[in-house]
Amino acid sequence: MIRALIVEDSPDISGLLASTLRRQGYETASAATGHAALDAARRLRPDLITLDLGLPDIDGLDVCRSLRSFTDAYILVVSARTDEADRLAAFELGADDYLTKPFSPRELAAKAAALVRRPRTALEEETEEETAARVQRGLMPEQAPSLPGYDLAGGCRPSRSVGGDFFDWESDGGSLAVSLADAMGKGMGAALVAATARAVLRPGRLTRSAADLVRRAADSLDPDLIRLGSFLTLLHVRLDGPTGRVTYVDAGHGLGILVQPGGHWERVVNSGPPLGLLPGAVWAEHELELPPDGTVVMVSDGLLDSFPGVDEALDAVASAAAPSPDARSAVAAILDLGEAAEDDLTAVVLRRGGERL
Amino acid sequence: MNFEIVDRGGYTALAGTGRLNMVSAPKLRDVVTEAIGQGHNRLVLDMAGTEFIDSSGLGALVGCLKAARQAGGDLRIANVGSQVQMVLKLTSMDRILTPYASVDEAFGDD
Repeated sequence: MIRALIVEDSPDISGLLASTLRRQGYETASAATGHAALDAARRLRPDLITLDLGLPDIDGLDVCRSLRSFTDAYILVVSARTDEADRLAAFELGADDYLTKPFSPRELAAKAAALVRRPRTALEEETEEETAARVQRGLMPEQAPSLPGYDLAGGCRPSRSVGGDFFDWESDGGSLAVSLADAMGKGMGAALVAATARAVLRPGRLTRSAADLVRRAADSLDPDLIRLGSFLTLLHVRLDGPTGRVTYVDAGHGLGILVQPGGHWERVVNSGPPLGLLPGAVWAEHELELPPDGTVVMVSDGLLDSFPGVDEALDAVASAAAPSPDARSAVAAILDLGEAAEDDLTAVVLRRGGERL
Repeated sequence: MNFEIVDRGGYTALAGTGRLNMVSAPKLRDVVTEAIGQGHNRLVLDMAGTEFIDSSGLGALVGCLKAARQAGGDLRIANVGSQVQMVLKLTSMDRILTPYASVDEAFGDD
């Protein structure tokens, strides 16, 4: 019999969790506070713990951390907190899965069953690199912001290990900022540089010009990049929604195109070198008009492994993006192009709706 | 990647064969650091045998260029293949690492 410990302060939800799990054949016990949970976990040695984060005495994340210090039970967080930061923190502290409230009892049963059918030793054997890869995937945006008249999507070709690629975006409903960048090298070193750059590129991206944002990011990153002998290529784009006016800085990245409604495409114009290679570099901001039914595509250099040259690769990108019905399927079609590549592949597609929208 | 070093009187030629990547990039840095330490600060990297370069290789090239310039010399590249040229162009590094058609021409003007 599998023993489940339900940590939940609301009696109603606790009851629902217990009845759902009992129907699946689990033996259940309940705790309504963090202290009670830790005590019960030590005493009952459960196989599975469902953990609410909003407990009356100790924060659920701290409970998660404490649980992990003495038990390798599967921890399934069941919480009303939907923030990326909370989810990431929970995984970082040892949670195995995350379910947001209100939850479907069937999904709860399915998640619990999926967890317990994997041997628990598999969890213990997760290497540092696997942990890093999991966290890095968690740092990629999940959902595109909504911007009236536009369709935005992005994705990374699932890669087993960590790498230097990332994309990020933000919108206030009127304007949009998108960054796609690639840190030198592969593995953990590149991933650490990428995570640092991602954070540096965030503040003020909806208010500052692309050139100003990149200038500030370079000022912050240059000393570290130079000391490390590393660098970062970056394509940072700002869109003004109502007009379709796009301003951008291409810092040695080179892999961005504007696909016109007819399928004809042109490349973004280079603004200067990658960040970290030449101290004191300046980046010129360029501009383009994104017409109705036009598409901006940004990709990482993983794509180049599959083609003889840049023009061939970008031509294939344009051909994959143009007939796709929406941005999400365009991203999928582009990622398929790099199937043969060893490297990570990242793509972001921004499409402006037609006049009918 | 192994590097051959030849003093050509007036400059030093380095040549490596294979892929300039994460594995071989530190070797290039070491070889160039050593050459500069021995007083060779005018360097030409013959890239005829370099079939591929990745971002780590590019990082090493720029690092070597800086080291040579800091020592009062320069690092120039010659016989650059199409993939290397593509990477230099993509990152706009061709502006500071201009490929020369041959090793002889690299310091031909000075």
